[in-house]
Amino acid sequence: MLRRLLIAVLFISIAVTLTGCWNRRELNDLAIALAIGIDKAGSQYQVSVQVVDPGEVAANNRTMTRTPVTLYQAKGQTILEAIRKMTTVSPRSIYAAHLRMLIIGEDLAREGIGDALEYMSRYYEHRTDFYIAIAKDTTAASTLKILTHLEAIPANHMYSSLQTSQKEWAPTASITLDQLIMDIVSRGKEPVVTGLRLRGDRDEGGKRENVEAISSPARLQYSGLAVFRQDKLVGWLNEIESRGYSFIHNDVHNTVGIIDCPDGGKISLEVIRSKTTPKARMINGKPEIHLGIRTEVSIGEVMCKIDLTQKSSIYELEHQGEETVKSFVGNTINKVQGSYKVDIFGFGDVVHRTYPAYWKEVQNEWDSVFRTMPVKLDVVVNIRQTGTVNNSFMQEMK
Amino acid sequence: MNQIDIATIRKNLGNSADIVFKEFHIDFASRIQKVDLLYADCLVDMIAVQDFVLETLMVDFPKLDTDQHPFLDFLTTGEVEEVTSTDSMYHDLFSGYVILVLDDTKIYSIAMAGIKDRAVTEAITETVTRGPKESFTESISTNRALIRRKIKNPNLWLENMRIGKMTQTDVSIMYINGIVTDKIVDEVRSRLSRIQIDGILESGYIEELIQDAAYSPFPTMYNSERPDVIAAELLEGKVAILVDGTPHVLIVPALFISFMHSAEDYYQRADISSLIRILRFVGIFIALLGPSLYIAITTFHQEMLPTQLLIGLAAQREGIPFPAFIEALIMEITFEILREAGVRMPRTMGQAISIVGTLVIGQAAVDAGIVSAAMVIVVSITAISSFVVPAMNMSISIRMIRFLLMGLAASFGLYGIILGIFVLVFHLCSLRTFGVPYMSPFGPFIAQDTKDTLLRLPHWAMRKRLRLINQKNVTRSNNKAPGPNRRT
Repeated sequence: MLRRLLIAVLFISIAVTLTGCWNRRELNDLAIALAIGIDKAGSQYQVSVQVVDPGEVAANNRTMTRTPVTLYQAKGQTILEAIRKMTTVSPRSIYAAHLRMLIIGEDLAREGIGDALEYMSRYYEHRTDFYIAIAKDTTAASTLKILTHLEAIPANHMYSSLQTSQKEWAPTASITLDQLIMDIVSRGKEPVVTGLRLRGDRDEGGKRENVEAISSPARLQYSGLAVFRQDKLVGWLNEIESRGYSFIHNDVHNTVGIIDCPDGGKISLEVIRSKTTPKARMINGKPEIHLGIRTEVSIGEVMCKIDLTQKSSIYELEHQGEETVKSFVGNTINKVQGSYKVDIFGFGDVVHRTYPAYWKEVQNEWDSVFRTMPVKLDVVVNIRQTGTVNNSFMQEMK
Repeated sequence: MNQIDIATIRKNLGNSADIVFKEFHIDFASRIQKVDLLYADCLVDMIAVQDFVLETLMVDFPKLDTDQHPFLDFLTTGEVEEVTSTDSMYHDLFSGYVILVLDDTKIYSIAMAGIKDRAVTEAITETVTRGPKESFTESISTNRALIRRKIKNPNLWLENMRIGKMTQTDVSIMYINGIVTDKIVDEVRSRLSRIQIDGILESGYIEELIQDAAYSPFPTMYNSERPDVIAAELLEGKVAILVDGTPHVLIVPALFISFMHSAEDYYQRADISSLIRILRFVGIFIALLGPSLYIAITTFHQEMLPTQLLIGLAAQREGIPFPAFIEALIMEITFEILREAGVRMPRTMGQAISIVGTLVIGQAAVDAGIVSAAMVIVVSITAISSFVVPAMNMSISIRMIRFLLMGLAASFGLYGIILGIFVLVFHLCSLRTFGVPYMSPFGPFIAQDTKDTLLRLPHWAMRKRLRLINQKNVTRSNNKAPGPNRRT
């Protein structure tokens, strides 16, 4: 008994002293990276990492003269080399497990983002819960240099903004790493990534003055969706087309649409629920997609003269809504089929699911089949509520 | 018995000044016989000695007819025994008996104890808000009386033995015949009789000498100061060991789950008691794993924290010179020192030092930049949680094991904690107390016995006694759920 105890103690002391605690990293050995930006610099990659300064962010001990985040940059032939090289400027080793945003510059995106994403997907520390955005008309590094109101850490600001916007505004679509890689690889759907723009004076953006005024001189804004063919950027969708994309992709949680009143004026409808079901049909050996869009809305704003207590008005508004949806969804599909010629809507996946044998034949030239594929729309809009009042008070203005 | 020499006895006692020798003569069985009385004057009731022994023998005796009757018939005292060995004579002498030596041949011991005893007061270590507030005292006869008052049944049997070569301490076993398993009683008896030691001063000595697992940090015998707790355990079919000179009575066999139960659980409502028990288990987890989890997650597994929390913790650790493990050790050891000091300090100062002192020292350490505020919080919550365990001996064991787990956490992270917990669970499941598995009813899972473990079901729902402790007389009660009488 005693001998067993001694042997156990011996083993434990050997284990502890030989191995030590070799993977131990104290909290103050970490440079917590919350956003990474990747740009092209000649034939190399320029990686910028936005690192949190915890002392500045925490509730007490703020000096208020330093910024809550720092930017470290390094150039390297590959991303991993650049990040390791960054230790020549950064006092600590970069810890990327809490990454929130990955911004890729537009130039790099046009050449192909696959290589950049390779490191992101392979390294053990990275998770897949961060959002990816393409820096539009600017470099990724400059988007990481803007200080923001409300959120002390700009990466959190970008993250929350994208998360909220994606739910409440149809033209914004977010994508995470695993989804993006799946889309790049799959032949039935091509990836679509949101674009990030820098508005205003970018030189002022990185200073404390940016948040010392009520209206910041420099601001970050999500606008437009980038269309990719496999991993290369081929074009951008504007606001209306992005909205169409969200509807087709069944990604609409809550958004606003404006329709014309029958007697002139505008009404805004707030989409409460929306569900899009794509179905594939083979007609004469060629595939056809039927899109069923079912939307439930409530009346948000009434800026015209209309009597909402009448059923006929409601029906008219619903009809008008359906026409509007049909028109912008149709426009989007035409634009994509005509100009970009890549299947970003996932129709290939639908065909794959319904007609696997046919898919096997055409999967390699799916883009050419997609270009001429007819898409039939079946839109139903139902007005469910009118808010807290029935008829607008402006009706009673004499 | 051969000749007894009073002078030898006096010499053996070293002429101790508190042993009184009285010699006189009586006329008994047609002879003048010498009678010697020995007693310890501090231990006997002097008035009773005068009234019942001296007055009877010196004043009333000559009037009685002494030819037909034995000597014992004439003594007007209750407990009189003939003593055959000098060892028993000395034991009785120091237990408050009066030794009567008749004619240098026969020795009788007469019970006349008048020892000043502590009054029956409130239990100091185990307090309840609802329930009886009496506690045992140092005198074994008072303790026996308190238990007998709770269980007025002829089946409550008592066996006495004397353990300790020098102290000759009285140790009694009590059990309810018909409920208890005889094997356990035999085992207790045999283990007690095998004890070889100079002196037994407290039941803790007995516990250490007869316990099952000498090297395990976990206690296998329960002890309590309260008669109602002991009576309840006796009704469950366990054996109580009373030791003279201490109010702490041992209960054998004790299961792991008994250390989580408090007497109050049974006196309050079933629902609130169940919730408070669950709270106790949560408290045990925090007490055991609190600092270890903090150390493991902040040094090895930072990806498990939410980002805001990570940034907050990182902010606190800026400028702290020590790694997290050393910080935890410093705080824990300081806390233990303060706690120990608070126990030993005179009562007037004790309260102030322990709680306020710890918080003040913790705050000062944070301000000085030696430890981080989060560590002070973790250590304080851990320390307070460790008091949630009602039984003091289990609480101590958990305190020890916490340090072990902290070391494992600092070396191997979460993996180390899991390994430590594995070893702990294996060890617990391998323990047996007096033949009963320590972790029952979880170890060998007996569904019917779990009615009183994590939750306390109402009394009318707990119909059977624990299966591994009782094999006979299993039914406790036979009630249905209470309610008004229903018509038809």
